[in-house]
Amino acid sequence: MSALTSAQAPTRAHPDAPIRRMSGARRRAQTRSVGYHAVTIVIVLAYIFPVVWAASMSLRTDENMFAADQLLPHPITFEHYQNLFAILPDLLRYFANTAVIVVFGTAGTLFSSALAGYALARFRFPGRGALLSVLLLTLMVPGQVTLIPQYVVFRQLDWINTPLPIIVPLLFGSAIATFFFRQFYLTLPRELEDAAAVDGAGAFRTFFAVITPLSGPAFLAVGLLTFVQLWNSFYVQSIYLSDQDSWVVTQALQSLVGRYNSQYGEIMAGVTLVSFPIIVIYLIFQRWIIRGIVTSGLAN
Amino acid sequence: MSATARPGGGATLPGHQPRQGGRRDRRRGSARRRREARVAYLFVAPVVLGLLLFTAVPLAVSFGYSFTHWDLVAPAPTFVGWDNWIALTEDPRIGKVIWNTVRFILVGTTSFLLFSLLAALLTHTPRRFVGAYRAALFLPYVLSQIAVGIVWRWMFNSQTGPVTLAVELFGLDSPDWLLDPATAMISIAMVTTWQGIGYGMTLYIAGLNGVPESLLEAAKIDGAGAVRRFFSIVLPLISPTAFFLVVTSLIGALQLFDPVVAMTSSSSAVAAAGGPDNSTRTIVLYMYNQMFNYNEQISGLGYAATIAWMLALLTFLVTAVQFLLGRRFVHYEGAEPARAGRRRRTRKAAQP
Repeated sequence: MSALTSAQAPTRAHPDAPIRRMSGARRRAQTRSVGYHAVTIVIVLAYIFPVVWAASMSLRTDENMFAADQLLPHPITFEHYQNLFAILPDLLRYFANTAVIVVFGTAGTLFSSALAGYALARFRFPGRGALLSVLLLTLMVPGQVTLIPQYVVFRQLDWINTPLPIIVPLLFGSAIATFFFRQFYLTLPRELEDAAAVDGAGAFRTFFAVITPLSGPAFLAVGLLTFVQLWNSFYVQSIYLSDQDSWVVTQALQSLVGRYNSQYGEIMAGVTLVSFPIIVIYLIFQRWIIRGIVTSGLAN
Repeated sequence: MSATARPGGGATLPGHQPRQGGRRDRRRGSARRRREARVAYLFVAPVVLGLLLFTAVPLAVSFGYSFTHWDLVAPAPTFVGWDNWIALTEDPRIGKVIWNTVRFILVGTTSFLLFSLLAALLTHTPRRFVGAYRAALFLPYVLSQIAVGIVWRWMFNSQTGPVTLAVELFGLDSPDWLLDPATAMISIAMVTTWQGIGYGMTLYIAGLNGVPESLLEAAKIDGAGAVRRFFSIVLPLISPTAFFLVVTSLIGALQLFDPVVAMTSSSSAVAAAGGPDNSTRTIVLYMYNQMFNYNEQISGLGYAATIAWMLALLTFLVTAVQFLLGRRFVHYEGAEPARAGRRRRTRKAAQP
């Protein structure tokens, strides 16, 4: 505000041309900037309205549910959350089931993909180019094609309604994560390995003791993306986890639809609870998630 | 941090000595190369094993299943020859689900590409608060499609939904969004676009930041207006980003599933999704029905595998067409100069 007035002041006091022109340009720039922020803020607020409104609905009383002035709920009530636990008494169990898949799935993806990405970035070996092309091709293969034979085998193994059919394939890494790690290791200076080689360290020692401690950013970016993706996924879970005791949170959410269609407070409480951990992680690690998206986008 | 303390000179290390012509040296080099390859195979072993176990073998087995009949009650599949593939061409529902997917792509993928670009143009210049704007625009992307779908299901509610109310605020008749076969798929496409904008925006921003300022400045001096600069300079330079987004979003669109389930299932059962009047049933949803919904089955897993293979072939076809088109329309900056530079260097090296 004070910048605005000080920019205006000299125009009136000293009417000499250069100053007036400069302050005029500055004023124009300032109006443009104010206009930009006004427009952008309106767009952004309209854009995230559904998220905010859903969270707000979960805290409203039933009679205030559709009132326009309830963006900040008054009075606040937690009864919908209590009701939610009455409808889904095992809700915490679904969170635990989800956590098991997310933790083991992310750890497995990171381990195997980092190893392969490192080899693809550093070692020359027959079949390296072929492996890269095959990995690129698998990005085109829809998961549905490989799903049916996997389903048959996992059913034979009696793994249906356990997290194993989802976790075990992840232990072997993923194509996207492998590309990401390869891209990252290509940017690390080779002198690190050369120094380790002089010290007589083998490839595995070098990788785990020298390279991995420096790979924090890559592990964080891939780990967060995998974590978010596994937490949110639904399709594969709905195939393998039909027994209610084995559900993950997205299945629990989906189960509210239809049966409790008109109970908006409870549904939005469920949405908020399931999204809450992801939103917290996003707000803390936003920079790393964005970096992961950009790098894996450019890597391809 | 220790990575910054890299030796500038690059001391010659045993591994980096230029190979001399001696036969013994060459043999030692090949032994080293064999050892390196052995280690490399150990490093890539998990991923390669995973590719074999969970992609290559299932891909082949799935193709085999497409020639069988197998409801999961029977102990083993029975061979039925080309029956499933013939059924595929005669099944009117196949045409329907493909058409539904095409309608989704026409609205969803195009609006995703356009609005992500607009969001990127709005926020790519570094200035105050821009980080906060970007963070807000990216937020929906990290949420689950089920949660987002459930929220939007309410947004589209024909009595109390904010979208309906907003349309009526302008004195217009609001469509019934998810309840009308004419608008249900469009509504779903709007939601997936809304959720994906942050992702597209992020990649476009990276692309826009790669556009050299000097080029824009030169065009400005030559008298090119903002519109001209955008279409003649910026757009060609970010075309690789756009191309990547087209390819990946089309692959994703062909596999549309979660948003449809969240927004259209009339009960909590997944198989009940795809309405109204099958107007939002997708390829993957139909495959799911064939796997688990027994009253609609043609030949259980066999037909489901046939649909899955059709999806894979469709994906391959669509991607191949894009790469052919991409060769004409996508401009990879630096590709030409780099090649010219290399040629020059080799010629110079050949001279002495």
